[in-house]
Amino acid sequence: MKRMALAAALIGIWPALLLAHHGWGSYDAKNPVTVAGKILTSVYENPHATITVQAPDKVWTVTLAPTSRMRNRGALAEMIAVGTEVSAYGYPSTADPGEMRAERITSGGKTIEMR
Amino acid sequence: MNAAAPGFLIALETSEIGALIRQSIWIYPTANIVHVIAIALFAGAIAVMDVRLMGGLAGSDPSRVVRGARRAAVMALVLVLMSGAVLFTAEASHVALNGIFQLKMALVAFGTVHALFFGSRAIRALDTLGPQAPMPGYARFAGGLSMVTWLAVVGLGRYIAYN
Repeated sequence: MKRMALAAALIGIWPALLLAHHGWGSYDAKNPVTVAGKILTSVYENPHATITVQAPDKVWTVTLAPTSRMRNRGALAEMIAVGTEVSAYGYPSTADPGEMRAERITSGGKTIEMR
Repeated sequence: MNAAAPGFLIALETSEIGALIRQSIWIYPTANIVHVIAIALFAGAIAVMDVRLMGGLAGSDPSRVVRGARRAAVMALVLVLMSGAVLFTAEASHVALNGIFQLKMALVAFGTVHALFFGSRAIRALDTLGPQAPMPGYARFAGGLSMVTWLAVVGLGRYIAYN
């Protein structure tokens, strides 16, 4: 019984060890960026809505939230329509330098939290 | 869509059914919820089966417990696979190239083959054993290997999103 409890504890801890160095998935929360510009493409789909934004430095792929969450918070597809000016605050991907995950976006005077 | 993926996976992801899964507000989250519930049922059945194979629950009839738990595990696995197929279709080209997903599916294949061959052999050996009988060495081993394999599959599955 003691041995089993120990095994269960180890199995429980293992994913925590793996995840310990991650903030929000594989995004670098220590170096937040704000990406602002016109929306070039917009996909309002699960598991995450995604836009590409023409920022002054480059084109960013901005990962947003699941569509049900966005809708519940008032971020409908129109808010991220192609051509809209948007500002996204979030964290760059550690895997893809052209991608970031938005903590919140501002468009048309509305700011919506994505987490 | 990840253009580096094999053509049939790109075709699957960009198919009408793939688009429907992504564009629906509820299909993807529902598949996600069903997947987790089915995994819970599967893991419960696997735990009963493997603990009995390893010699736990010693007061019970080993053959009945293991066979019953295995049936339950197979039924839960069908639900896991169906909901998993929905989740996979939505992102087939991305997920297929994810190294953690590949490792997970390799372990699913290993766990299935192990269950069909060694697991079945271990179960047949239980037919002559009653409660309190010590489990044969290979039955203990098969139970332990099954438990470790399927728990690793679940852990890797959750880790796909972070890789």
